[in-house]
Amino acid sequence: MWAEITKYLYEFESAVLSGLDEAGYPFSVRCRPYPDASGAEVLRVWLPADTALRPGPASLLCHRHDEKLWNLKSFLVRGALKKDTGGWSFQPVRFIPGLGIGGLPAMIRFFTRSRRNARLYLERRGLARPRIPWDEINVAKKKAFATSALSQEQTADG
Amino acid sequence: MVRPPRVVAELPSEVEDVFEEFRTCEMSTLARDGIPITWPTLPFWYSDEKRFTVTASIALAQKAFNVRRNPRVSLLFSNPTASGLENPPAVLVQGDAEAPDEIETSVAGFEEELRKVYPRQPASRAYGNDPFTRYFMDWYFMRLMIYVTPRRILWWPGADFWREPFELRMEHVG
Repeated sequence: MWAEITKYLYEFESAVLSGLDEAGYPFSVRCRPYPDASGAEVLRVWLPADTALRPGPASLLCHRHDEKLWNLKSFLVRGALKKDTGGWSFQPVRFIPGLGIGGLPAMIRFFTRSRRNARLYLERRGLARPRIPWDEINVAKKKAFATSALSQEQTADG
Repeated sequence: MVRPPRVVAELPSEVEDVFEEFRTCEMSTLARDGIPITWPTLPFWYSDEKRFTVTASIALAQKAFNVRRNPRVSLLFSNPTASGLENPPAVLVQGDAEAPDEIETSVAGFEEELRKVYPRQPASRAYGNDPFTRYFMDWYFMRLMIYVTPRRILWWPGADFWREPFELRMEHVG
């Protein structure tokens, strides 16, 4: 797990650290975690002294997309946020790959697992697989692109 | 010592611009063991109703399961890629969510949202265009709705988390 974290962490400029605040709501900030200098398999994070984050259950997300909301890449690490004399640290417990990690085999697993998850969701509720209204979706899709093209033309015309 | 945020009475336009223009936000829901699980998602902000809608496929329903068990969620807007905004604030929305156990497959009534999503993610037009994607991705079009009512909105000008944030408590709006 540690090898995967350090392998992928450096591909991202920053990460989203999520913990809990004192009211028990999730609270997230951007930060730049880095491996502890001691060699211990923990990540150090610099946080403002007055951060609302509390030590306890936490996760670290790295993600990105391009200008066309494509080439998605992400991973999540479950763990715990700790505070000691050296400051704040994140103790990883489990690495969870997201989209864009693991190549073609991971993508095939994602699609097959998703079909299975959907089937289980429906089976547990005694529901038949719903019919997807493809024609309706494709009409809406065409309208969405046509409206966007028209609006871009109008913008270009000033 | 925790400094109190600067509390304001209205949501400034630069924060609503973030809600409208950011392509994704980082949504946190609470897992059974209490760990906040955060994944990027596409939010839709309805300023009249002062609430967000996000959707989840029934194949990737963990967000909805978590919300049904514990409604406390947050949405962080911290990735401005493709938003076209210059030096936007980072915004954190904390709120309560509902995730009814109703599966939506029709896009009727959701046309405005599609007009936003498809041009922003043109490659997604391929989903459902041919028998292959219709078979392997039908689950993508079986959606659960998740409604998020903000309780508190915090924002950091310049996305500088080291600055004191501004805060809007939603009961002050109206």
